This record gives sequence, structure tokens and C-alpha cells, in this order.
Amino acid sequence: MSIDITIAIIITMVGASTPLLLAALGELVVEKSGVLNLGIEGMMLTGAVVGFAVTYDTGNPWLGILAAAFAGMAVSMLFAVLTLSLSSNQVATGLALTIFGTGFSALFGQAYTGKPIALFKSVFPDSLTDDRFLRVFFDYSPLVYFSLFMVFVVWWFLQKTRAGLILRAVGENDHSAHSIGYSVAKVRYGAVAFGGAMAGIAGACFPLILTPQWVEGLTGGRGWIALALVVFAAWRPGRLLAGAYLFGLIATMELYAKAAGGAFRILPSELWASLPYLATIAVLVMISMRRTKSSSAPACLGKPFMPNN
Amino acid sequence: MVRINRRNVLKIGGAAAALPLIGSRAFAQKAKVRAAFVLIGTPDDNGWNYGHDLGRRDMIEALGADRVETTTVTNVAEGPDSERVFRELAQQGYDIIFGTSFGYGDAMLKVAQQFPDVKFEWATGFKTASNLSIYNARFHEGRTVLGTISGMMSETGIGAYIGSFPIPEVVMGINAFHLAARKHNPDFITKVVYVDSWFDPAKEADAARALIDQGVDVITQHTDGPAALQVAEERGIIGGFGQGADMSAFAPKAHLTSIIDIWAPYYIKAVQSVLEGNWKEGSSWEGLAGGEVVIGPYNEKIPADVVAAADAAQAGIIDGSLHPFAGPITDNADTLRVEAGDVIDDGEFWGVDWYAQGVEA
Amino acid sequence: MQFRLEKRAEISRSMLYFTPVAAVLLTMIMGAIIFTILGFNGAVAVREIFLTPLTNSLKWQDLAVKSAPLIIIAVGLSIGFRANVWNIGAEGQYIAGGLAATGVALITHQMSGWWLLPLMGVAGILGGMAWVAVPAFLRVKLNVNEILTTLMLTYVAVQLLNFLVFGPWKSPTSFGQPQTVLFNNDQILPYIIPGTIVQAGAPIAIFIAIFAWVLMSKSIFGFQIRTVGTAPNAARYGGFSANQTIWFSLLIGGGLAGFAGMLEVAGPFNRMVPQFPTNYGFTAIIVAFLGRLHPVGVMVAGIVLAISFVGGEIAQTTIGLPNAAVGLFQALMLFLILAGDILVRYRIKRVGQKSEVSSS
Repeated sequence: MSIDITIAIIITMVGASTPLLLAALGELVVEKSGVLNLGIEGMMLTGAVVGFAVTYDTGNPWLGILAAAFAGMAVSMLFAVLTLSLSSNQVATGLALTIFGTGFSALFGQAYTGKPIALFKSVFPDSLTDDRFLRVFFDYSPLVYFSLFMVFVVWWFLQKTRAGLILRAVGENDHSAHSIGYSVAKVRYGAVAFGGAMAGIAGACFPLILTPQWVEGLTGGRGWIALALVVFAAWRPGRLLAGAYLFGLIATMELYAKAAGGAFRILPSELWASLPYLATIAVLVMISMRRTKSSSAPACLGKPFMPNN
Repeated sequence: MVRINRRNVLKIGGAAAALPLIGSRAFAQKAKVRAAFVLIGTPDDNGWNYGHDLGRRDMIEALGADRVETTTVTNVAEGPDSERVFRELAQQGYDIIFGTSFGYGDAMLKVAQQFPDVKFEWATGFKTASNLSIYNARFHEGRTVLGTISGMMSETGIGAYIGSFPIPEVVMGINAFHLAARKHNPDFITKVVYVDSWFDPAKEADAARALIDQGVDVITQHTDGPAALQVAEERGIIGGFGQGADMSAFAPKAHLTSIIDIWAPYYIKAVQSVLEGNWKEGSSWEGLAGGEVVIGPYNEKIPADVVAAADAAQAGIIDGSLHPFAGPITDNADTLRVEAGDVIDDGEFWGVDWYAQGVEA
Repeated sequence: MQFRLEKRAEISRSMLYFTPVAAVLLTMIMGAIIFTILGFNGAVAVREIFLTPLTNSLKWQDLAVKSAPLIIIAVGLSIGFRANVWNIGAEGQYIAGGLAATGVALITHQMSGWWLLPLMGVAGILGGMAWVAVPAFLRVKLNVNEILTTLMLTYVAVQLLNFLVFGPWKSPTSFGQPQTVLFNNDQILPYIIPGTIVQAGAPIAIFIAIFAWVLMSKSIFGFQIRTVGTAPNAARYGGFSANQTIWFSLLIGGGLAGFAGMLEVAGPFNRMVPQFPTNYGFTAIIVAFLGRLHPVGVMVAGIVLAISFVGGEIAQTTIGLPNAAVGLFQALMLFLILAGDILVRYRIKRVGQKSEVSSS
């Protein structure tokens, strides 16, 4: 493989991985607080259509991203009110949220199909983005650098701040956290809102950096892969970054291998497509065998909390 | 309208079922026809479903809103869901029902049997019944024209074809494209990437990126929507083509031309025959000659000699002097598949599961 | 003035029945308003979605066909959910069951006899069980979270299906299209009522729901499931094995999902196609919760969801209501029913400013 192809693969891989990374980072924080939101796909679709619409109408992708974040957050609040205030089942509510987001985005997007926008490309000068080697660092959309920055922010928040400590405590033992005076509901509302905003931005990545159009179902089921990714990363932001790029690489390599012709086609493509899911199961098994505290699922994941239980 | 005899309603446990029995109707002229369209996606897809919906609208315009009334059901999944929709439409008294996906076949054959007075039309189907016709278009003829343009314009000599799944129509589209390109560039290579999904624009875009990174400078796709074309525009390669509809709005520079599906002539004919009371079971497979497949406007940047060659290919197919699959054809494992002087005829078409020499799949 | 939720000592019977009805009524009102805003006749739209499938007797058989697999899968899942075992990969088990039944059908394609369908049924059940056995094993032996493993395996099942129908199982007579051969007459479920489309699935669904009801309310097994779910410590003292309960509840859920897969492939489909997965496994999760994890409730919930699907299609054909609006409407109904749940288990109490922090 030549250096040019390697660089090209890296650039495509990073693009494919970025929405996964953003959505999974949001879900990681949500799950760390003890909530399982299966509605990522619905929130991503909402973010995708709103991000597209605002970018199309204003011509400003930054506004589009901001709107996508708010839209994702807004629909995540539907989930939060139901599961946190009304203690409905999180699995069922998350699935209902995906149905909602799919329907809403299709309806809202009807006015926007068949309209092109410009890609939200690198803001660096051409001398850097067109350079044969340097482009591997500079030829990315600002959303890519944002996603990397957020990996650091989430890590720093969870590990280094008091608020992060409280959030983890709520996820590990909600009753103890409550008894020492923290509001479990408030913490979880905040986590779900953050998850919604991140999923919204992840959705906006589709029209802004991957394929500048809106059509129904644009995110193609990536929300579910993001869900797998959180588990694959064992709820750690650093591993999430590696995992997102690995999942992106698997998907990208499949296409590059096919485009290269016969020589690379060793596995049936169905097996390629199954790899992220099989790998996630393997990681789950490994985590369980080692049983280290830091890399297992938050103890309260998916369980409703009512203070007077 | 359809007369429904309700026999007794049987109750078993909680579920009850009714028995539709359809009274017979006289075969006669009608003042107004009710036509229904069942789509696998939505008309906003800029591709397959859009084409059928455009055909429906043009049909209404041609026949007049006082003579035909239509309804469209969108996003109908193949299998039992479609069976229910077809039955619902038949029960509502629609005179003719168009199902526009291959996978509707089993359901349509079943429902057609239950409603002998309703006419059914199965797009891309392969089996008829006394009240079920099939219709299809020779899209591969359009591919011959695209291949001609690609063979002449490609500088790297490598073209790409992005497909959903390796079904015969796609395989033959690839072969038609490639054989035409090789007439003008004997070393032309066609790289094929299947995205293994009926619908995933982001993956199609990444497939286009993977292909362009490996030397492809013309791209054609057999999937709905402009995803690959937009990548071609972004990367500034020689170009790509619209599929199903003109997509130049998405890629003004890269959009060389397009294969446009025109279903209106068929829809007008079918509904007209119901109006006149002379609808018959049949099988229609028209192409460039019948006006069902149309090549859209050429991009200004295509040189005059290429336009002339593309027009010549089109004219040749229309007058029959050019066959898209004329021998000799050798497959990509170096086996001679079609002798010189022979062609792949309509009967053999659906059985082809090999690619012509120079196709990398 | 503040409001506070107080847990009821016992779940409220009246609320149990009242809230879903109120939620559906509220959905109709809100739906009518939303559809009117979208430029449709809201009242007519709601009537077409909710009432036409019930008043038009021709639609009853559609409801039976659409709700049967949902009920069969949801009954199995609700048993597991009661035991706090979260199998959300029923879609994968449904596919695995359908594939196993198809495998038997293809092997026995040249044979005939009454025994073919029962054999396919057994294969379907075993297929679903085999698919869920991996998460069950991992949960019991290594304490691996079954929510995630069952979900992951669903996507693997879809890929396996694609591999088989595009590869070794592709019919030689279907013009290269990805589908298996049509099953022979002894491999297709007969219509149980002549002249309709109702096959064995509907009565089987009712039978399974009733059987599960008796099992859960009258048997030691049902007691075990409920105890492990609500009071794991008591269950341990009572000598109920948690591992055994996990195995049982997952195998029942997987087996029933696999059986539903067999009934679908031998029923409406008559062959295996790539479009076989139709989200029944995911929709059934919602059905299980709407039915409050009770077999009879599941039956009603399955029919209510089937009404919204069938009615949504009617509204599309008669007044042109977009498919997406129907999806939005369904989500609204689910949200409202889920929201109503709280009133079953809690009562709203008005408390003064001096409300004390509740003890935990």
C-alpha cells in the first residue's frame, strides 16, 4: 500500500468515525450516570434534519451545528421527562424515541429533500490541506477536531472534576448518592441533555461532512453502532476514541478492499459487516473475565430511581 | 365498484376474521379509473420512487383529472405488509394497482388471485397472471451510452460502478457500461463496489471516496440518490451520472448526463386500456426506443466528438443496429461467453451471473 | 405548593385499566390537533387510523395477521422482563428461527407429509433458542450484560440472513434475485378459515398468551420468575436459582421469537427473503411494556399496535396522510402510555412548603 492510499484511507476513516465518536461520547456520559438511552438513532436523525435545514436556510454550518445540538437536546428531554420524572421503562422509552425521531425527521425534512448544500470543510489554508503529507492532519472539517476535543473534555470531566465524580457516583449507587444529598434526577437530566446534544451534532455530521443532502433515514442505523461502541470502549473516553476509529477503519477498509479488486477479498462482506458487533461481544466477555471495577458497566445502568423506593 | 359479500363472521377467541368474496363485474368502458401506486420508499428520493411518481403525475395530466384519480402508498415494506396494502387498495375499489418493487411479487400474485376484477401491474416482475401484468425498462441501454462517454473521457481508464446488491439487473448494467467503454478504450477497467445495503447514502459516499482514491475518474451508480455524484463534484474528477432522474443540481460540474426513467408512457397506456375496457395481461420491457429510458441533457464540458459518439450509440440502439451485448464477449475469468455474431438475448439476460473481461468485482 | 409522588403500597387496579385508555384517548385528541396543523382533516385522520380498522370487518383479519407475531414474541419477552432479564434482541432470535425453519424446508423440499410443518416449528423454536443461548451462557457464566449481547447478535443475524439468501440458498429459478425457492404446499401454513388470510399464527398467539397467563399466575415456575424479578434476595432464601431463572426466561423468549419467525416464513412469506426482518422483535418490546408484562395485556397491546399500523395505511390511501406522520403519531401514543404508567404505581400528593426530604 502506497503512502498516498494510506493517507486517503485515514482521511476517509476519520470522516466515517466522527459521527460514531460524537454520539457515543454523549451516550457514554448518559450511561455513566446510570441511564440507558436506546434512542440515539432518533436523536441523530433529528439533529441531521435540523442541522441540514438551518445550514440550508442560513448558509452557515456553525448555526446548523448549534441548531442540531439544541434539537437533539430537545428530543432527549422527552426521554428524560418520561424515564426520570415519570420512571417509565428506559428500554421501551428509548425505542419509542427512535420511532419519534424517525417520523419527525421524515416529516420535517420533506421540504428539504432534493436540495444540495456545501460540505463543511477544513478551515485551514490550501497549502496545508492540499499538501501530500500534511493533509493527514489538516484536511478535516472543524467537526472532526471538535470531536477529538470532546474526547478530552469528557475524560477530564469524568475523572478530574467534582461534578464528574458525582455523576459517576449517581451511576454506581444512586441511593447512596441521594442519601448524601445529591439530586439523582438533576444529574441524570443533565447527562441525558448532553447525550442528546452530542447525538444531534453527530446527526449533523451526515449532511455536513459525509454526504451533503437530506433524505429520510440518512443516518443508516449508525446510532446502534454508537451504542455498541460505548460498550466496546468499556465506558472509557480514551478507548472510545480508539474504538470509534477502529469501527470506522473496518467499514472503510471494506470499501477500499472492494475497490482494489479481487486480491483483498478474503472474507464475505457479511462477515466484515458483523465484525463490529462480534468484537463488541468479545470485549464484553473480556471485561467480565477481568472484573476490574473501572471497566465494567455502571451498576445502576438502566434501572429507574425513585427516592422513596 | 367492487361488491363485497360478507358471509358470516367467525369468531375464534379474540381474533375475528371476515370473508371477502368478490362479485363479478361486467367488462366495460369506464368513465373514470381509480389507480393506486405502491412505493417502496418516498417520492422524495430523487431516484426510483421519484421516477414512478413523476410518471403518475404526467399520466394524470395526459388523461385528465376527470378521467383518472390516484392514490399513492409510500414506504411499504415487502412481504406481509405489502400484501395487506394491496388487499386494502383492492377492497377500496381501485381498478388498477401498480406495485413498483420486485419484492412485491409474491404478495401481488396472491392478492390478484383474490380480486380477479382488479388489474395489477408489477414493475420489474417476471411472472404474469390473468389480471397481473409486468413491466420493466431496459436501463442497461442507458448504461451503454454512459459507458461510451466514460470510455472516451476517462483519463485514467478506470471507471467505477457502485451497486446495492449483485442482482441480475445490476450485473447486466455493469456489463453494458463496461462493454461500451471498452469499444473506445480496450484497456478500460470497471471497478465494482457493492455497498450491501438498499439504502445508505453515507456508505455510498465513502465507497465513491475509496474508488476515487484508487484512480477512478468516472463513477456511475445503481443506487438512488446523488451521494456518489456529490463526491465526484467535491473531488473534481471527470464526472459521474444521474441515476433515475437528472441530478445536475447536486453536482453542476461533475454531472455528465443522466439516465432518466420515464414511466408515463406505460402508465398512460395501462390506465387508458382500463378506461376503454380492453386491458390485457402482458409483459412490457421498453427502453430507449420506447421512450421509457431517456438520456438527459449533456454537460457542456463533454467534447463534441464524445457527444456524437453517445448520440450514435443511442441512435444505434433505437434503430437496432447496435446491441448492448453483441459478441464476442469474454468474461473476467477469460472464458468466451458469447461467440462473435451472437448476442445475449432477452431470455438469457436474467441468467447472466458473470462480468465481462476487465470488470473488477 | 408542590407535588410529590408517593409510592402506592399496591399497584392501583383502577389506574391499571384507566391510564392506557386515557392515553389512547389523549393521543387521539393530540393527534387530531397535530394533523390539523399539518393541513389535514385531523378528526378524519384519527378516525381512519383508530376506528376504521375496528369498524371495517375486512380489516379484522389484517389485525390478526399483523398482531400474531407481535403477541407471540412479546409474551415470551414479558416473562423474561418480569424476571429482570433484558432480552432486547428478539429480532435476531426471530430471524434465527425463520432461518432454521427455512433450512429444514429446503432440506425436505422434495418431501411431503403432515410432519413437515411441525418439524419446521421445532426447528424455528430451536433456532431462536440457539441464538439466545450465547447471551444466556455469557450472562450466567461471566455475568455479561444481556441487553448488549442480545442486541449485538441481532445485527449478526441480519448478516447471516443476507449471506444465506445471496449465497448458498439463492433460488435457481428466481432470475438471480436474492430469495429462496417457494416452499412446497406441505411447508406452508394452511388458511384456517377458508376465504381469509388468517393462518395458524393468530390462534397460536391466543393459545400462547393464555398458556403463559396460567403458567405465570398459577405455577411454581411463574412464582419463581416473579420472585426473582421483584425480590432477588427472597428468591435466594427460597431456594430459587437465579441462574436457572435466567436460562429459562431467555430460552422461552428466544424460543417464542424463533417460533414466530417460523410462523412468518411458513405463513405470509412462503420463502426466505432479505426483507424478512420487519422489526417485529423491537416492536414486541414496546408491546410487552404497553401490555404491562401481563399476557392478556400483551394481547390487547399487540392488537392496539396492529391497529395503528393497519390504520396508518388506511389513512395514507384515503386521505393521503404521509407515512412519517403516522410514525409520529405512534410515537406519541407510546410516550403517553408509558407516561401513564406512573399513576399505576404512584399517587400524586400535594404537599406544602414544608415538604420534608423523603427518606431512602
